[in-house]
Amino acid sequence: MTENSLKILVCDDSMLIRKKLKEVLKSCGCNNVSEAANGQEAVDKYKDSKPDLVFMDIIMPFKNGIEAVKEIIGFDSDAKVVMASSAGTKEHVKEAIKAGAFEFVQKPWEVEQINKILNNLK
Amino acid sequence: MFSQYFGQYLLNEKYLTAEQLKISLDYKKSVRLKLGVLAINAGYMNAKQAMQVHEMQAKIDKRFGELAVEASYLKEEQVEELLSSQKFGHLLLAQAIIDKEYMSLEKFEAAIVEYKNKYNISDSQFEALQRDDVDEIINIYVDLKEDKYASEIKNYIGLFMRNIIRFIDSEVYTNNVAKVVEYKTKWVVSQRIKNSINLLTYINAEEEVFVKFASRYAGEELASNDEMAKDSVGEFLNLNNGLYLVGMSNMGIELDMEPQSVSFEKTISSAYVLPIELPFGKIELILSHL
Repeated sequence: MTENSLKILVCDDSMLIRKKLKEVLKSCGCNNVSEAANGQEAVDKYKDSKPDLVFMDIIMPFKNGIEAVKEIIGFDSDAKVVMASSAGTKEHVKEAIKAGAFEFVQKPWEVEQINKILNNLK
Repeated sequence: MFSQYFGQYLLNEKYLTAEQLKISLDYKKSVRLKLGVLAINAGYMNAKQAMQVHEMQAKIDKRFGELAVEASYLKEEQVEELLSSQKFGHLLLAQAIIDKEYMSLEKFEAAIVEYKNKYNISDSQFEALQRDDVDEIINIYVDLKEDKYASEIKNYIGLFMRNIIRFIDSEVYTNNVAKVVEYKTKWVVSQRIKNSINLLTYINAEEEVFVKFASRYAGEELASNDEMAKDSVGEFLNLNNGLYLVGMSNMGIELDMEPQSVSFEKTISSAYVLPIELPFGKIELILSHL
């Protein structure tokens, strides 16, 4: 996979999920990936570095993903945030889209899904 | 899975020694094949398609065959054919026991009849058990007495066991569920499911088993009960509960859940404790509804 210059932020309270997603992103040519462990950290990091794409979990302590995406979109209406949850209920999908998410994906991630999302960005 | 239950029965009734049962189950394990392997072997699917179906199972609580048909990788009649070559796990156990002369065929047959009578198992239920139908297995072996949420809890346990089979180990069985007033755990991850159904869910284990469970789910060897190990067991519970929420949402019941947490020696009140035996040790699924 050819290396790309995309700046990506991965936000999930699970260390395991962050590690696995970073591995997948690396295999897709994304080497500029930073991490956040909760919604507040993601908002702060977004404001600092304005990444091209954010992968955001929903159920997290301190600040959940829905609140975080609302704040991110409030700060930058062009922000591209992909929401992810192991609970892809109709309610969660609706909430995510309403909050301004670019896409909703049920966890766990698959390489093909990530590739599709990255291609849609181009 | 059913072989484990029947094997335990043979052990409890002293038809077999623990050593004989272990040898027989190991033999059975060496010859039983998963549906995906059988499908590849029959030339109906390729490895990539089988892998895709396994990945789909992490998101949708459906059987391999069902998903493969939905994805047009298999036809229904092919699934039937493959299942019929897969389903007689207990016969492989019988073959092992008889080949090794631990029991005679007659004695084995008599033990099956005795077993069906003891658990009040009908012929159709026995057929389902032989297919390792998890819901039927839970229905027969997990006795929740008069609990008004018995059906919801059994559904939850059924899903949990299917995920254990998918992500941890297929050689699994449950022991008797116990209703406890108070219970002190070892290492435990917990997560609350809330809204119209309020359920506290826990996975409890001794440290060594906890780490092994974590390693299986993470897909890498974890040496100690560090943050990654705790996170891995928590993520397994989170994935299971996420699938439970999706299933309930599809039935029109919108539930939510809180982030999972990890504790040591936590005291839990008024709960069901279900011991789950895995090849590397015992975990407990603990459920408490409010």
